[in-house]
Amino acid sequence: MDIVIVGVGKVGFSLAEQLVRESHNVTLVDQQESALRHAADTLDIMPVRGNGVSVCTLEEAGVDHADLLVAATNSDEVNMICCLTAKNLGTRFTIARIRNPEYTSSLTELCRNLKIDMVINPESATAAEIARLLRFPAAANIETFCRGRVELMGFRLQPQDFLVGKPLMNLSSQIKRLSLLFCAAERDGQVSIPNGSFVPQAGDKLYLVGRPDSLDQFFQVLGRYAPKIKRVFITGGGKISAYLLAALSNMGMNLKVVELNEARCRVLSETFPAVTVLHGDGTDQDLLDSERLAESDAFVALTDRDEDNLITALYASQQGLSKVIAKCNRQNYAGIARSVGLDSVLSPKFITASYILHVVRGMQNSQGSVMNSLHRIADGGAEAMEFTVAPSTHYLGVPLRELKLKPGVLIAVIVRGREIIIPEGSSALQANDNVILISRSSVIRDLNDIFRAEAAPERGAGGAQ
Amino acid sequence: MNLKLVLRVVGRVSLIEAAALVVPLIVALLYGESPYPFLLSIALVAAAGLALSLIPAQKHFFVREGFACVGLIWIVTGLVGALPFWFSGYFQSLADCIFESCSGFSTTGATILVDIEALPKGILFWRSFTHWMGGMGVLVLATAVIPSMGIRSHYLTQAETPGPVFSKLVPKQSQTSKILYGIYCVLTLVETLLLKLAGMPLYDALIHAFSTAGTGGFSNRNASVGAYNSFAIEMIIAVFILLFSVNFALYFLLLTKKLREVLQSDELRFFLWVVFGATVLIMWNTAPQYSSLAQNFRYAFFQVCSIISTTGFSSLDWGAAWPAFSQCVLVLLMFCGACAGSTGGGIKCSRVLILLRSVRREAHHILHPRSVEVVRLDGKVADESTIRSTMIFISAYLAIILAATLVISLDGCSFTVSFTSALTCMSNVGPGLEIVGPAGNFSAFSPLSKLVMSLCMLIGRLEIFPILVLFSRSTWRRG
Repeated sequence: MDIVIVGVGKVGFSLAEQLVRESHNVTLVDQQESALRHAADTLDIMPVRGNGVSVCTLEEAGVDHADLLVAATNSDEVNMICCLTAKNLGTRFTIARIRNPEYTSSLTELCRNLKIDMVINPESATAAEIARLLRFPAAANIETFCRGRVELMGFRLQPQDFLVGKPLMNLSSQIKRLSLLFCAAERDGQVSIPNGSFVPQAGDKLYLVGRPDSLDQFFQVLGRYAPKIKRVFITGGGKISAYLLAALSNMGMNLKVVELNEARCRVLSETFPAVTVLHGDGTDQDLLDSERLAESDAFVALTDRDEDNLITALYASQQGLSKVIAKCNRQNYAGIARSVGLDSVLSPKFITASYILHVVRGMQNSQGSVMNSLHRIADGGAEAMEFTVAPSTHYLGVPLRELKLKPGVLIAVIVRGREIIIPEGSSALQANDNVILISRSSVIRDLNDIFRAEAAPERGAGGAQ
Repeated sequence: MNLKLVLRVVGRVSLIEAAALVVPLIVALLYGESPYPFLLSIALVAAAGLALSLIPAQKHFFVREGFACVGLIWIVTGLVGALPFWFSGYFQSLADCIFESCSGFSTTGATILVDIEALPKGILFWRSFTHWMGGMGVLVLATAVIPSMGIRSHYLTQAETPGPVFSKLVPKQSQTSKILYGIYCVLTLVETLLLKLAGMPLYDALIHAFSTAGTGGFSNRNASVGAYNSFAIEMIIAVFILLFSVNFALYFLLLTKKLREVLQSDELRFFLWVVFGATVLIMWNTAPQYSSLAQNFRYAFFQVCSIISTTGFSSLDWGAAWPAFSQCVLVLLMFCGACAGSTGGGIKCSRVLILLRSVRREAHHILHPRSVEVVRLDGKVADESTIRSTMIFISAYLAIILAATLVISLDGCSFTVSFTSALTCMSNVGPGLEIVGPAGNFSAFSPLSKLVMSLCMLIGRLEIFPILVLFSRSTWRRG
């Protein structure tokens, strides 16, 4: 697909990186020579220098025949105008990043008038993600499929867990009866798809997929069923916090926010009367202790500085809080954070990029089997996708044990009507099933991509592959 | 540097070159000549290429690897091209073969052969075919043919495509390469057809079309294009020479119906003005020699096109027939060269244009010390870093010519000969003045001079830096 991305910031770049990897034709537009040059040096893209609102620049970038335009500059207004201009010039689908909360209330109207097909707000998307994590505290990550009928959760094994040291096939029948599947395991940064002989070790991060009630039961058996979260402590009162407070305040939680800027405190207090707003430094341990951080159920670090967030989150997890979440823009820190035991480290740019990627893949699959959703798990080390099986899908009705799948691909769940099937060797795909796949390496764009091509030449055996 | 990966890429490109050697092999078989030189070369190159391309390597590929790859690949290409010459037995020494091959791939067109017509047709075909491959670039071909050289393949083509700024036509590099080669093939085919219609035998038409396309200058006749003594042939070649010395991106713009941007190209206008101006000057200077204006125009226009595009065909021995002023104009054109993004060599019109505009800005700045001014090219602001690299490029270009002149003068020839032979090799033109003039050749030089000139040709073709970095210690250092 021909894709134009305006604005080579954090989101623009990581989105372009992923799209190039999936061999789309990507054109980047930015005013800054240095940012463009960096992108052109590292990615196989076409750089176009200029202002994203100028018709000239957009025409040079080829928006007249582009399938998709993503406007991700710093300015909401530029993004809106950019989408409007592109749409009028002939772009099929436009996505604008609009982050100012003032626009949020009139967003539908704005989108209709400006012909924006989709709005992405990194802050609100991140806040939604955090709110979801706070609702399901047992998991480090949680993704939903089939409108919530199937869930995928990741959790880290502790040394005392009964799973440790035993192959998965020797698990008690109590666990085996549950409708769930171990679909991925992350150990020392390596992602694998476990089979029956897989022996979990303490420190592994395991991903489970299955029915929500089965997952709940599993966590109860594991003794990890955390009580519902009542008290949430947040540091940083920026945009994400505002969206998060709005999402959490009607869930009957007790919320505390620490913010450095007094004026901002005032604004927050005006908007959310039920929230305790504290003026102070979120990294100040005295303040955290005097406000009884240790007695909270969850801690969320959302200040501007990645380092502060990680350090305070570390402090909170030492205080024994059951759920600790930190925002971290820079991907570089994610590995370090994981190694010190912080599992829920979120990056707004990552979340935004995967939202948009999801749309792109959906657009591409308008023919063939439809991809309904895509989630990146284990820091992008694997992907979980949901497809609807089309009549054109190969090998319908053939038992799974007779299929040759590509290495690193797992059919995790089949949803047939009201049934949720954890597949066995004898299960077979049928048209109109929903299938949830886990893929470790290869890029899957169509359900037929999972089958190993027989006698087909090996693709991509290039110099630097 | 990740030498293993670099060698692996070199190996893959060698395989493409082995495949290219099949073309002259077919020609040799068609004319009933010995296929032995080609078969032996193909076997050698394919074996070496296969061995190298099987080297297991990590995929660590950055600027350093990219530049080293380009430099190495071109040196290897020069050696590969020399193999058939060597096996054919028509060449005196290995240095001669390397000179001829480098001259071919770098599209210089300088030769050490005294009697070209004595060579078998297969070998002559290979000579011109190297022009055609070298013109658009071996690596551009490689990125078009091999789908995944690695995601950073644009480092390779960037280093190979001439010009101060590199721009893609479409987002994907492999697609860009395909479009470029598509345009290139179509233009070459059209020229072959026209030359055939103008009365050339098909074999000669192909040879001259290849040489024109690469702006090289190898002919299969001793007297070059002058041997046909046909007005039509000279004009067809002159016009196609101009077409091949224009930035190929402009053809893509034409295909996508952006005529206005083509007309706005400063470089194109400058190039055409220089061609026009030089033609008028030479016509004025040589007017007494010719009876009619048409004859006068015919020779002046052909020579100007041939030299500014750095092709080096000749329709008459201008080194002997023309006055010093006209010869001087042609030597100056050798410096200037063709447009960026074309198959021609030289400093390139866009760089000359940037130089002239920076000089004007500097003069303006001296008169108005507080003035802030930008240099524009094609209506767009040229980056300060582009201007800086242009200045450095031109200085380095001249310095290398002077250094080469010094080495060549060891052979005891005159300054004119040493200097113009260094210049003509560096700018990939072909003929110089006096003994290396349009009717002369380079056979008289010592092996050392021939190797230095071969290196100059590659340096000129790759625009200096890909070859220079090979001589830098930090390229080879680990880590």
